[in-house]
Amino acid sequence: MKEQNLPYEKILLEKLKKGDQTAFSSIFTHYYRDMVLFGGNFLADKKDCEDVVQSIFLKLWNDRDIIQIDTYLKSYLLTAVRNGCLNEIRRKGSDHEDLSAADVELSEITSEYDTNNYMLYSDLNQHLERALNKLSPAIKETFLLNKFEGLRYKEIAARLNVSERTIEVRIAAAIKFLRSYLKEFYLPGLFFIILSLNNVISLWKKIN
Amino acid sequence: MNTDNYIESLVIKYLSGHCTEEEKEALLSWIKESEDNRIQFEALRNIWQGLNPAFNPEEIDDQKALNSVLNKINKLHWTQHPVVVYWQRSAAILLLPLLLSLIYLLVSKEPENITQQEVFAPYGTFVEVNLPDNSKVWLNAGSSLKYPTRFTKGSRKVTLQGEAFFEVESDPENPFTVHTARVDVRATGTAFNVEAYPKDSMTSVTMVKGRIGMAINQQKRFDLFPGERASFNKNTLQCKIEKTDPYKWYAWKDGLMVFRDDPLEYVFKRVGQTFNVEIVVMDKEIANQPYRATFKQESLSEILRLLQLSAPIRYVNYNQETANELALKRRKVEVYKLKK
Repeated sequence: MKEQNLPYEKILLEKLKKGDQTAFSSIFTHYYRDMVLFGGNFLADKKDCEDVVQSIFLKLWNDRDIIQIDTYLKSYLLTAVRNGCLNEIRRKGSDHEDLSAADVELSEITSEYDTNNYMLYSDLNQHLERALNKLSPAIKETFLLNKFEGLRYKEIAARLNVSERTIEVRIAAAIKFLRSYLKEFYLPGLFFIILSLNNVISLWKKIN
Repeated sequence: MNTDNYIESLVIKYLSGHCTEEEKEALLSWIKESEDNRIQFEALRNIWQGLNPAFNPEEIDDQKALNSVLNKINKLHWTQHPVVVYWQRSAAILLLPLLLSLIYLLVSKEPENITQQEVFAPYGTFVEVNLPDNSKVWLNAGSSLKYPTRFTKGSRKVTLQGEAFFEVESDPENPFTVHTARVDVRATGTAFNVEAYPKDSMTSVTMVKGRIGMAINQQKRFDLFPGERASFNKNTLQCKIEKTDPYKWYAWKDGLMVFRDDPLEYVFKRVGQTFNVEIVVMDKEIANQPYRATFKQESLSEILRLLQLSAPIRYVNYNQETANELALKRRKVEVYKLKK
């Protein structure tokens, strides 16, 4: 998968070590939102996630002259979020006591792979937006109405005032294009998941 | 392929919470089969999580969070000065009138807990800043903006080095002022672009919406209207106002670089500013050739390649390394006319 790291990360980290708050702010704004969303995979409460992430940044600042980051900053921060969230769960006690053994085991599958290769929300968003923007406006609109608003071909045809056959052709064209485009970015799984979704509203607010 | 699709749909079923216990067991044993399977599971889960964010990303306010963390950082600094704390306490106990005037001073002037913060846009990209009054600023590559964590009554002052586009929240009682080395811009509610690169002899302001007042070197005041662009030359002390298509000057905030019959020399200057490279056109005969192009979020190497495709030029001192290590050191690329 493609890595999307903060540009000039090394320089920013050096500046941070020297106590540069501007560098600190750059790192903060680059990663904050994605870190909170990553935390959301572990904790249900947004406020809890934000607290975890903010305390990570506070620690990053306070320990800036002793901190050693051997991996990418992104993996370092994500690992910190995961550990912070798991601590929070331990502290609070899990409220899911009805989980089966398989549930627990599945939820505990985490590894180095996770934080090193994790595609941040904003990276994924960017890939998708780029891919969708390569479609012609008519095809894109049709595809979004079908896959993300869950409208049937018939409904779309009525809404756009074209024949159902036209809709079929457009959807086929969109699928063909997206399949080959996303393959270039090693994201065949992404394509598959898009097709199996019917309502992913939040991500698409921007595009619609 | 078929088993792949089966597994993928199983993973999706699991992630969306529709798996039966048997299916979960099946998935689990598939994952345990090999390292590759586990990685494939994690990759799919990653994509699923990205498409189904736990919270609405738009509701995560990173500027508010940053301000709160910066406040904590700067407060920690204060407690390291016990003398100040002691002095404030004794004043409170012994001299009530002094305390009252102290409070007055704190409220009316800059309270101590207002800190200045500075945002810097790394080269090659730009950043969006939300100011405490809900005004929005887009800060172009290599530029910095200083502003307080909270504006005091009566004025909203920010300091700019480099280039920024402002969308100022309307508030006539608290005018918004952009301070640069040579030019001050005063606005109440309006949108405009300011270019004040320290290395440039020109400082330019382009008006998009509303109305602004400009002051050069703290004197010489005049108003600027939408579609007008004022350029002040620090060497000649001349200020020129011309009509322009404003979008061209702030298209960068949408990730675009727009050139409309601009001299090649200007094209390279603009590209150089964005990526922190000094690009010098050595042959004067091509320097003034008009150039039309729109670049959208292209990398430096891509832009240079495209320019080379459409203009008869060659680069000297340019290599991939130049493109990669931009911020470490300012590199210099020379452009010559291509010999036939």
